[in-house]
Amino acid sequence: MGLKVSDLVKSFGTTQALRGCSLDLRAGEVLAIMGENGSGKSTLVKILSGVHRPDAGTITVGGDTVPFLGTPRDSIAVGIATVFQEILCVPQQSVLTNIWLGQDGLLRRRVPALERRQRAAAVLGTLIDDPHLDLPAAQLPLSERQAICVARALVRAPRILILDEATSALDVATRDRLFEVLGRLRAEGTSVLFISHRMDEVEEIADRITVMRSGEAVATLNRGEATTRELVALMTGSTDVHQQMHPTLDTPAGGASKHHVVLGATGVRLRAGATPIDAEIRAGEMLGVAGLEGHGQDAFLRVLSGVPPVGGSVTCAGGNGHSAVRSPADALRRGIAYVPRDRRDESIFESRSILENFQVATLDKDRRRGLVMRARAERRFEHFVHLLKIRAGNRSNPITSLSGGNQQKVVIARWLAMNPRVLLLNDPTRGVDAGTKRDIYRVLSEAAAQGVAVVMLSTEVLELVELMDRVLVFREGELFTELSRSGLTRSRLVASYFGRVEQA
Amino acid sequence: MTGRLIAGARRRPAGFAVLLVIVLIVVNTIVQPAFASWNQVAPTLGTMAPFAIAGMASTPAFLSGGGGIDLSVAPLIGFINILLVTKLFGTPFGSPFLAVPILLAVGAAIGAINGVMVARLRIPPVIATLGTYFVLSGVDLDLVPNPVTASPNWTDHLAGSIGPVPGALVTIGVPLALWYVLRRSAFVESLLAVGDHDATAFSAGMNVNAVRISAYALGGLIAAIGGIALTGLVQSADSQTFGNYLLVALAAVALGGANLTGGRGGLFPSVMGAASIFLLENLLTSLHTSAYFIQVAYGAVLFVAVLFGARLFRQESTA
Repeated sequence: MGLKVSDLVKSFGTTQALRGCSLDLRAGEVLAIMGENGSGKSTLVKILSGVHRPDAGTITVGGDTVPFLGTPRDSIAVGIATVFQEILCVPQQSVLTNIWLGQDGLLRRRVPALERRQRAAAVLGTLIDDPHLDLPAAQLPLSERQAICVARALVRAPRILILDEATSALDVATRDRLFEVLGRLRAEGTSVLFISHRMDEVEEIADRITVMRSGEAVATLNRGEATTRELVALMTGSTDVHQQMHPTLDTPAGGASKHHVVLGATGVRLRAGATPIDAEIRAGEMLGVAGLEGHGQDAFLRVLSGVPPVGGSVTCAGGNGHSAVRSPADALRRGIAYVPRDRRDESIFESRSILENFQVATLDKDRRRGLVMRARAERRFEHFVHLLKIRAGNRSNPITSLSGGNQQKVVIARWLAMNPRVLLLNDPTRGVDAGTKRDIYRVLSEAAAQGVAVVMLSTEVLELVELMDRVLVFREGELFTELSRSGLTRSRLVASYFGRVEQA
Repeated sequence: MTGRLIAGARRRPAGFAVLLVIVLIVVNTIVQPAFASWNQVAPTLGTMAPFAIAGMASTPAFLSGGGGIDLSVAPLIGFINILLVTKLFGTPFGSPFLAVPILLAVGAAIGAINGVMVARLRIPPVIATLGTYFVLSGVDLDLVPNPVTASPNWTDHLAGSIGPVPGALVTIGVPLALWYVLRRSAFVESLLAVGDHDATAFSAGMNVNAVRISAYALGGLIAAIGGIALTGLVQSADSQTFGNYLLVALAAVALGGANLTGGRGGLFPSVMGAASIFLLENLLTSLHTSAYFIQVAYGAVLFVAVLFGARLFRQESTA
């Protein structure tokens, strides 16, 4: 079968997203596409899945030229199934409905009821244990909702499967099972287009890697043909091979313990009956929180951001000793800023401008005699544009005109601008390209060096190992262990996710 | 056992409305024992039928999401009533075997026009159907500036009895039966999915526009049945009566427990919503409450239903 893309061109207004992109996906292979945000990966995926129409170029599926992929229906009809970066579920409907979504006609059911259930259970069962087909999708954790999206694609038995950052929300166990499924599909002749920012995943699953840069496919390499450094160089187009994917920073640690405690968790329970958690967070340290998806690290971070826990309390250093943080609003007043995980739903205001999105948390600073001075906001924003290397055109354009990575930078700028004492970040580098990650790492460690306590949840092991002074690992809603800088290695961290303690 | 029943009822969106209907039937019977007598049932249901059907006709637009709402249901009911009385009765087309298909087709077509405006032309549903509301209201007034009494006709049975069966069971039952069939087909599942999150539905390859247009057409078709039921009740053509059903129909959907932004609800809950409003009015009327106060009571019940019904009777999603 296979898929061949030749000279695809696509512009959005004045931005050229694809400028003559060609690539070749063979039958029975996993082809990874790597590239920084803005390199055209997403646009390519959206064209192949029928969301966007190309301005020029041809798409061939199994030797037949596909004249026109006008809608997702057309794409599905030629045998392409896509799992999108966003987790797309119909939340109030059952898991079963979610898996079979889009397969029926307006009235006609294409698959009999019993077969629907059996096949849905079988497909979802390859990814997660004991799938509940009748629960509304909204009641499942993020990782399982992502698994539903994958199952929706798999149940179509596609000739070509596109996974666009589809592993980013999956927990490690589910991801491993997905990789097993991909291996089986590959053996059966299915072609898989695999888009991921995670180097380890690409190395594990991809037969070949196509690197994209500035709307073109600049190189295609076999597995193992290039080192991480060389791939990064191809992606960034720079010859500076010393730029690493994950820069090892000058350790800001060591001195951290000298600083005072700014935030403390006392007897915090994330669920009833759990062992209470005590933790201290000091000024100027970088603290990672980690674990398998849904094991409490997310809840813990939210508790630090002021959401009341099931039991216990969070205290914050104030003028006269420590006092309890009562609510997210209270936390904000005390200088605790929180960057949520879900950019679209929880952090950005989609219809507002870039500048307004930056300004919203610190409007007071631009106020003079009751009026908001736009020029002041612009001046303040410029500082962060340089600091974070935000690539933004006109500051009055809607925030949605920016790439995901730049949106994230604007959100981080928004909270840094309030000069927080504690900066909480919930997986800020999820779905963000290597260059943006570097910028975010740099800014966070600079902030820590200036005394901000940075607490970051991450799903990426390397990031935690290379960036953090210490990492709190959560398991089943409890604090499982704490790894300090000296004992923080990749294998120890991953082992602890699974409840094992490895000796250093 | 009882506990399971209660738990089961609480999962149903219509739980609160069903409870309200049962309580109101009991209270009505206590206040006015004749209420429950058998020969009262058919006329009572006949009076209720246009409320219930208007509620059902308003439902699919809400369920289809995207800010869906159909404000043109009430004037469409009036239009069908006027068409039937002034254009079809007294002609060969006045027989039920011709009139019913014609009117259903007209209703569905007007609904489909709403659907096309909303789905294809991307006019916000409030505006699109408000436009249709004005057009139909104007046409209604133009056709019958003054009420026209209908010649004796077959619709009389619909507000009374067909043999031993209350006619209203037919007019209310037909949309419910149609909905039941649609539930067995893929349509209702698609409609709820589109209403729940249209971007997901679109990316999964669903024809979102076709589903939305069908939803509005279905609303129009049900409204046509409402027009026929109204004719049975009033036995005249009148461009004023439909006003009674305009807002009550929308309230019925909310009271029934549907999610007004789409994705959850059905026709039966809306019938229960309409029935509770109707029974409340009946109760207050038999207590000689002022007509103005009845309006206040509608509002109060709506607040209570939406506030407490949501807490007690719905398992809200956790995320």
